[in-house]
Amino acid sequence: MSVWRDLYRGDTRFDFFGNRRRWFTISGVIVAVSLFALVFLRLDLGVDFEGGTLVEFENPNAVSVTAVRSIVDGLDIGGGRVQEVGGQGIRVQTAQLDPADEDRLVDALAALLGEAPEDASRLSVGPTFGSQVAESALRALIVFLIVVALFMAWRLEWKMAGAALIALAHDLIFTAGIYALVGFEVSPATVIAILTILGYSLYDTVVVFDKIQENVRERGDRHAFGSIVNLSMNQVLMRSINTSLTTLIPISSLLFVGSFLLGATTLREFALALFVGVATGTYSSIFLAAPILGVWKEGEEHWIKVRRRVERKGAEDDFAPTHGATVPAASMVGATGSGAVPRPPRKRRKHRR
Amino acid sequence: MTRRSALITLGMTLAVVYGGMALTQLGGVRPLLGLDLQGGFSVVLEAEEGTDPEVLDQAVEIMRRRIEALGGVQEPEIAVVGDSTVEVQLPGVTDRDRALEAVGTTGSLEFRPVRQVSPIPGVSPVFFGATPTPEPEPDTTTTTVPSVGGTTSTTAGEGTASTTTTTTVPEGSTTTEPSTTTTTLDPTEGIVLPAGVTWCDEVEQAGCVDRESGLTVDPDPTLDAFLTTGPAGGDIIYHTAPARILGSDLEGAQAQFSGGTSGSGNVVGSWVVVLDFTAEGGDKFAEVTRELANYAIGDPRRQFAIVLDGEVQSAPQVSPEVDPNTGITGGSAIITLGSSADQEEEARSLSVVLRYGALPAAFEISTVQSVSATLGSDSLRAGLIAGFGGLALVAMAMILYYRALGLVNVIGLTVFGSLMLMVFSLLGEWQGVTLTLAGVAGVIVAVGITSDSYVVYFERIKEEVHRGRSLRSAIDHAFSRSIRTILTADTVSFTGAVLLFFLAVGSVKGFALALLIATVCDVLVAVFFTRPAVALVAMSRLGDGGRFSVRGATGLPPEGTS
Repeated sequence: MSVWRDLYRGDTRFDFFGNRRRWFTISGVIVAVSLFALVFLRLDLGVDFEGGTLVEFENPNAVSVTAVRSIVDGLDIGGGRVQEVGGQGIRVQTAQLDPADEDRLVDALAALLGEAPEDASRLSVGPTFGSQVAESALRALIVFLIVVALFMAWRLEWKMAGAALIALAHDLIFTAGIYALVGFEVSPATVIAILTILGYSLYDTVVVFDKIQENVRERGDRHAFGSIVNLSMNQVLMRSINTSLTTLIPISSLLFVGSFLLGATTLREFALALFVGVATGTYSSIFLAAPILGVWKEGEEHWIKVRRRVERKGAEDDFAPTHGATVPAASMVGATGSGAVPRPPRKRRKHRR
Repeated sequence: MTRRSALITLGMTLAVVYGGMALTQLGGVRPLLGLDLQGGFSVVLEAEEGTDPEVLDQAVEIMRRRIEALGGVQEPEIAVVGDSTVEVQLPGVTDRDRALEAVGTTGSLEFRPVRQVSPIPGVSPVFFGATPTPEPEPDTTTTTVPSVGGTTSTTAGEGTASTTTTTTVPEGSTTTEPSTTTTTLDPTEGIVLPAGVTWCDEVEQAGCVDRESGLTVDPDPTLDAFLTTGPAGGDIIYHTAPARILGSDLEGAQAQFSGGTSGSGNVVGSWVVVLDFTAEGGDKFAEVTRELANYAIGDPRRQFAIVLDGEVQSAPQVSPEVDPNTGITGGSAIITLGSSADQEEEARSLSVVLRYGALPAAFEISTVQSVSATLGSDSLRAGLIAGFGGLALVAMAMILYYRALGLVNVIGLTVFGSLMLMVFSLLGEWQGVTLTLAGVAGVIVAVGITSDSYVVYFERIKEEVHRGRSLRSAIDHAFSRSIRTILTADTVSFTGAVLLFFLAVGSVKGFALALLIATVCDVLVAVFFTRPAVALVAMSRLGDGGRFSVRGATGLPPEGTS
């Protein structure tokens, strides 16, 4: 009850910064596994990227995949991949066909499945188009990153921009790694999802860093940077949890509805990337971006001085990192905002009771 | 924020948003659905690298014309994407083949001098023996050097002598094969074809002439061609010279009625098509008409054929008053038709042909997609169920957690939803912007972002209250602080969305647009709805006391007891 109550009231004292090695190790393992998956399992690029022809039909009479496959093989169009999609549809994917062959395929499938040929969903993509889409997405991504980094450097500071980008790279690699591991097909929807993750991960990190910056302004000369990171993390913890929940709920609903109820595979694959991305985005902004920033800033001359001063005075600092691996101080309820600093508050901007 | 100003702001916001939403929806203004949501057909065409952007724009215009001619297409969306790609989206289109033809075929508009006209409609001049004896070939030298040949061609074409200047090697003499095969009963036997032109064999080569019909199957602009006007034009078949002017040389064409009143007071005049050439095209046209004007009035060779996609659309004569020494100069010309209604029609359609007939660039079809209507509506249904389901769950969680403030959030989400619906309806109506599956996904994601803005604000209120502020001062302080955070975070999203919108292709664009609109709506809702609503709630009985109150949500006992 008490942890929950502390959470609810924003009174937690988790030592995020002190445990940074643990988080860095976790993230390192995640990234290593993801990279391994990406290199050895490869991403399954969809028709949109590789080129090819894709025909999709509803399958109300539940014709078996084997039957469809034999029809497709009988057409002599160089084979193809037959898949069931969402339990309600049949998808046939081949190398790019010329229009006549594509029509033959559609007609044959329509006859077998008892559907009208017009009810087919068809997609035929030339081999160059995908690389163009990928290229344009990549270009958009790079420009986006540069612009956002500049914006964050201006609005916050450049080290924050740097830390945010590292956290972002972590999220992207992890999401891509999941795709490689699970073997989901990468479609344009996936690209969109990944771009969303970009936005979301940055958004989340910006909120966290905004809080750090505010705390630095308020008590920068009295607390070591690590303490401020801890304080800020604890302050935004509930927000982060709540935000992730409110974001993940619609996404899960997309995942659930898309995947189980309606068999809309596009939705499912899209939602999976979003789900993974949002979850890691939240994780990385708290456990990765902020500690990285902390390590980085603690090396600054100003913060070394502050740190020495705080340590010399032996001041009791609620949020001082323990530099160990323990999670302390969930018991320190009641110290709310008492500002346990021995000397009188000088540059305090806000009056507190 | 005072109670009065909060009430006014809130009232106005709700009136504008709900009123606007009701007006658009009752007025039948609905979001346009993209083809992945309602079924339809999309094509991505690629031009060669380095194609002039203007040429692409022109091609888009021509495609739009052709698609409109198809009829029954709701809101076709044709856009140039990137450097050399044209994306065509035709929601609701089921006739694949016709649609493909409309956007994909590269019409070629050519002006070809006429060499010979069939004396009997439907019978090709190719069957009337060899090419006309006085080989009218003053142009073989001039066409090859069109720009510098200005002066040389004047001398070559000077006077009536041009008809007899057979300076070139007569092709007829070099093609000796037909004479060796005199024994077969081939209808084509003994016929001498123009230079470079062959009879069609099993494998059709460019510019070849069909043995049966005597028509050129696939006209090559650099070769002679036997072309028909088609049934509408009385099946007249022309033997035409290589193309001298192409569609790209033409700047514009317009149908006009030209005339006035005659001396006796009757209205006289006729329908004309006014042609405007580009600078280069004007020079070429002057050159061609100068050559043509050297033929006698009434000679079939005094006309040029306007050919679109291998069919002669019109074959106007060069008028008697044209000076054979200069031709028609000045970069523009008039084709005079007549004054009847038929001719009005003809003038209009000819001007359309001239303006839009040819796609100025060669396109390659790189992606063709058709989505069946049932699949589209399934996706829409799935998206909506997911959206509403997600909203309901978020609403429940927020009320549980933030009590009275959660209620504000729930109403805020309906305000946000109404705003999005209104914006998409209006954008669809005014700009033809369609809502795609990716867009729906963007909106669903935006629900998360909007909720986040509330969470940021509410958490801040809690924090301020914990610091010991009174509820009223806490909500004001919390707002001015959290709006900074929200603005910073939204700026990041907004920047991303704008960049994506301008740099990305296809469905990513739809997503970016939805996200872009959503971030703007998010800020608007925060300022014009959330702030006054929270202020009012805090000032009301829901502010203090009770577990459901704002203060209750902060976990602190009611004011005064602490």
